[in-house]
Amino acid sequence: MRYNEKELQALSRQPADMAAELGMRVPKKGSVVKRRLIKLVANFLFYFRTHEAEPIGALLLEHCRVTREEPSAFSISFLEDMERKYRFECCSEEQCQEWITALSRASYEFMRRSLVFYRTEIQKMTGKDPLEQLGISEEARFQLSSLKA
Amino acid sequence: MKLNERSVAHYATSDSPADHTGFLRLWGGLGTPPTAGGAGRRCWFVLKGNLLFSFESPEGRAPLSLVVLEGCTVELAEAPVPEEFAFAIRFDAPGVRPYLLAADGPAAQEAWVKVLSRASFSYMRLVVRELESQLRDARQSLALHRRSPWKAGATGRSKPQASEHSSRLENGHSPSKDCSPGGSVEGRGSRLSGWASAEWELPGPASLLLGRGQSPVSPETSCFSTLHDWYGQEILELRRRWLQRAQGGRPARENKDRP
Repeated sequence: MRYNEKELQALSRQPADMAAELGMRVPKKGSVVKRRLIKLVANFLFYFRTHEAEPIGALLLEHCRVTREEPSAFSISFLEDMERKYRFECCSEEQCQEWITALSRASYEFMRRSLVFYRTEIQKMTGKDPLEQLGISEEARFQLSSLKA
Repeated sequence: MKLNERSVAHYATSDSPADHTGFLRLWGGLGTPPTAGGAGRRCWFVLKGNLLFSFESPEGRAPLSLVVLEGCTVELAEAPVPEEFAFAIRFDAPGVRPYLLAADGPAAQEAWVKVLSRASFSYMRLVVRELESQLRDARQSLALHRRSPWKAGATGRSKPQASEHSSRLENGHSPSKDCSPGGSVEGRGSRLSGWASAEWELPGPASLLLGRGQSPVSPETSCFSTLHDWYGQEILELRRRWLQRAQGGRPARENKDRP
């Protein structure tokens, strides 16, 4: 699969929702924990060598699970193979919690669910569809039915 | 740069909802040289969130390509072949050629341009923020309409609400102003840029907030269980008062306020 790498690199330079230097271990045999700059931008988690401008890699945060492994360590795994875990080590429990919270809300799918939830709640309270006022009530991505799959 | 490609491909073919699908012709971009005859390559495209995948056919098991739709604009364009309903996805990144695509007809073209220009994560986030604040406002005005003893019980919550409200006024533009989502595609050749690019290029509300390292949705109402607790507070307060009255320990002030 080809992907637009340059554009993704450009995205990695955008202001981050969260950024910190963490210990990171990729799911590869014999890999060790390395110090990496971790940056959350939209639904991508970028990781950099600490003094390099270009990221080593990116993780798309859809269909992923964020798990607390230790008081100050968490892992990310993906639906496709839950055994493959990207492990991250934080400086404190507090920092770990912040990352877990941010990452579990970072997916587009989470945004979609939130949107449909708010839409339904507002409709229940006011009797009006808020998306109709924005002119986007017909879009497939904002429909309740889109959550059934 | 690496990408968790296997998981991405799995997501592409999973049964999670697609936001738009259809056949499109593709010229250039993603390493495919423009074909000599200029006919382009016909592929099956699937839009999921901010990701545009292409497949050999609707039955394709593995995606051929992925375009991440962040920091791009979508506009009508000229195809190498006349009679094509073409549009281009342009990126601001240096050295990136635009992706030239064409639909089978004007309706499909319009639908694709619309849906692609609103596909970015930042656009989604703006709409979520807008609805979030609308819900807060609706709840506030509902609370104002209730002239009842429970109003006093609600004051415990009104402080964080007020501060959040003012922060929205500082930073929050309505997405309808920023990205013109209500606009329609009128006339070929009109520029449709700006829809997807506004919050990318300008120091808009999203980047203002994100620069401070905040989470995508404000913690106050983003999580369902938090919302549940939030609603629950009122019920708990009511119950507390009811118990108080039942026990005969009601303060005189409350007695007077009751309808």
